[in-house]
Amino acid sequence: MLRILLAGFGVVGRSLAEILVERSEELRRGEGLNIRIIGIIDSGGAAVYERGLNLEEMIKTKKKSGSVSHHDDYGRPGLNVLDLLDELEVDVLVDATPTNLSNGEPSYTYIRKALASRIHVVTVNKGPLALALPALKELAKHKDVIFRFSGSVGGGLPVIEFARQCARGDEIIKIEGVLNGTTNYIISRMEDGLEFEAALQEAQERGYAEKDPSLDIRGLDTAAKLVILANEVLGIKATINDVHIKGIEELRKKEIDEAIRSGETYRLIGRVDSGLEVKPTRIKREDPLAVRYSMNAVSFTTMNSGVHVILGRGAGGRETATAILRDLIEIKKKLVEVKV
Amino acid sequence: MKFGGTSLGDGERIKNAARLVKEYVENNEVIVVCSAMAEVTDTLFMLVDKASRGRVRDVEITLNNLSEKHFRAIDEAIVDEAVKRDVKSIIKDLIEDLRRAVLSILYLREATPRSRDYVVSFGERLSTRIMWGALTELNVNCKYLDGGDAGIITDSNFGEANPLMEVTKLEVRRRIGSLLDRGITPIVTGYIAVNEEGVITTLGRGGSDYTATILGYCLDVDEVWLWSDVDGLMTADPKIVKNARVLPTVSFNEAIEMAIFGAKGLHPRALEPAMKSNIKVRIKNTFNPSHLGTLITSKPEKSDMIVKAVLLVKDVAMISVRGASMVGRPGTVAKILETLARENINVMMISQSVSESSVSIVIKRDALTRALNRLETALLGTGLVEDIESEDDVNVIAVVGEGMRGTPGVASKVFGAVAKRGINIRMIAQGSSELNISFVVKEEDGSEAVKAIHEEYGL
Repeated sequence: MLRILLAGFGVVGRSLAEILVERSEELRRGEGLNIRIIGIIDSGGAAVYERGLNLEEMIKTKKKSGSVSHHDDYGRPGLNVLDLLDELEVDVLVDATPTNLSNGEPSYTYIRKALASRIHVVTVNKGPLALALPALKELAKHKDVIFRFSGSVGGGLPVIEFARQCARGDEIIKIEGVLNGTTNYIISRMEDGLEFEAALQEAQERGYAEKDPSLDIRGLDTAAKLVILANEVLGIKATINDVHIKGIEELRKKEIDEAIRSGETYRLIGRVDSGLEVKPTRIKREDPLAVRYSMNAVSFTTMNSGVHVILGRGAGGRETATAILRDLIEIKKKLVEVKV
Repeated sequence: MKFGGTSLGDGERIKNAARLVKEYVENNEVIVVCSAMAEVTDTLFMLVDKASRGRVRDVEITLNNLSEKHFRAIDEAIVDEAVKRDVKSIIKDLIEDLRRAVLSILYLREATPRSRDYVVSFGERLSTRIMWGALTELNVNCKYLDGGDAGIITDSNFGEANPLMEVTKLEVRRRIGSLLDRGITPIVTGYIAVNEEGVITTLGRGGSDYTATILGYCLDVDEVWLWSDVDGLMTADPKIVKNARVLPTVSFNEAIEMAIFGAKGLHPRALEPAMKSNIKVRIKNTFNPSHLGTLITSKPEKSDMIVKAVLLVKDVAMISVRGASMVGRPGTVAKILETLARENINVMMISQSVSESSVSIVIKRDALTRALNRLETALLGTGLVEDIESEDDVNVIAVVGEGMRGTPGVASKVFGAVAKRGINIRMIAQGSSELNISFVVKEEDGSEAVKAIHEEYGL
């Protein structure tokens, strides 16, 4: 049994709860994964029940009142993650809090505290990863706990695992990728004939872009994911400050039209080889990276076995929640290995 | 800039160090690292020892002496009454904390590595506060920080903690970086840090120099300056060779060799972070600040000097293990080294002839008896070894210089010079890096051999 503290009950957190409600029996039988969520924290406070919260009720309470802390029996308004890490016996902290790329807080502090207290961590928050991945990995190793974040890149797409497979017996020398669904949707719609502003508005209406889309548009989200790949796949100890970033804010329909006429187009591509760079890049339309709408694509150029590309829908609550589940299964397996 | 204990030996010297900082603060971003005042760290170690043995009166006297020493330094270093009052009140509180810590050891009669680190940390914490006063008086906008507050995070290996470099880098950049951005000069305690739980640890070997190079590495500084009481690394000990001189530049590898062989006030570990990030390290003298000192870099200027320095390592002993049946028997050397390792004895030099009939090793002299007892028990009577002999009246001479690599005839020149003075060489070792040649002579010949080589190479 894994006792889990779930930080953040937004789209991803709720999707995780939904999947657990639907599939808990399957997961227990199939994977031996018996999950007990003993605490959920959102911006209003917490809900705590050490024998395992009823997730259907939690989802209802959140929908009705805006915070799980309003639950009649288990609501604990005003409590935060740090309080609960002290108070409860937790096996894994699942961090699904919103991304903050300026200083990674409060997620960074939560993760550090958890690792220091020998609690395993699964996060999908790119903030602390983009700013402090080498430090957090060092700390996890030092404390001998497991630190997983596969949902942070590519959502449900198993990008990091795929990269590990590519690198087995070979060496990855370059990573290129379309890593942000929002900007790719905007560019694709511009190919269809829309102006930038109209495409952005449509992306927002359809729920691809946040209310404040600047992290996506300015290329910061792509840069954050690139940093994670650089660290995990190539072992480069980089942070987001090491990335040269240019977003799509200056990309005009005129340029795209002009590219299309010569059989090419633009994509916002993050690239790591000797350095890290994010910029709108002109590529052939048949290039595997020229995926359309909210798709993601990452290509790994290897020394000997050529180029491998993985495609799929990146973002999305369900997809990302699945990645969390994948990490939890991995943790469970590792814990069993240690015990034997 | 890191200031060593002697350079902060009393109030006047602290004032002098502060003036040096002031001089460079105008046109540079400076981070100051302070050691404890001279002898204070030793005194604190002694204090812990006395407290754990219940010596109430000794503890009282020592505490009072420490308090007096620091208050006297404040009076000498700071003139401005208001600043003086501030610093005195801070120091008074610290001494009170120290007293409480020592008293608790006294009551329990038990000192753990953890409590020892806590007590010893007061040396640097006291000196940084006085430095802060002296700099404030010179109108330098500054702030004092303990190693942990500066962001140096280590594991919990008390007494010799290892920094978690990536965590440290991140924290140091956040904390010190923001001070520098606001034009504030940080004054950081050398030698001390905290572990992940925020408990005070000490860095052990390399001490404050290590703090300076760690900070340098984290902040990607241009240079690390280690201020002490010597002009720099020298071609030889000036007590032995009168015309020994300061080396203007050496490489990291040479500096590490020289540090291992006891060049004054430098520990190889302290050079690691600087070497890793290619940061120049300069050794300078607070008592002779106009001297350029020694610059340690990864790319020293081309020099036609084949040999850079000749060092004499005293207080060593040589053990020879002989026996014809060792020939062709794998594992004999392993057994010797393993035996010594189990006793926690460090082997400084090892040499075996190709006939395998004898192995010679050099260790610290104070470990000789222990080493002999162990080796005799482990090896004699196994039929493997015929005899174990030892000599405790020997010295090691180390000849250091990157120029020796690939230069033929170095050995013949070195040994020729020694032979000309009628000195017999007992044992020789040279690694294939050719960075250094070490050999053993009788103690009475040690100084003479150094002089001979120094002269031969015209150092």
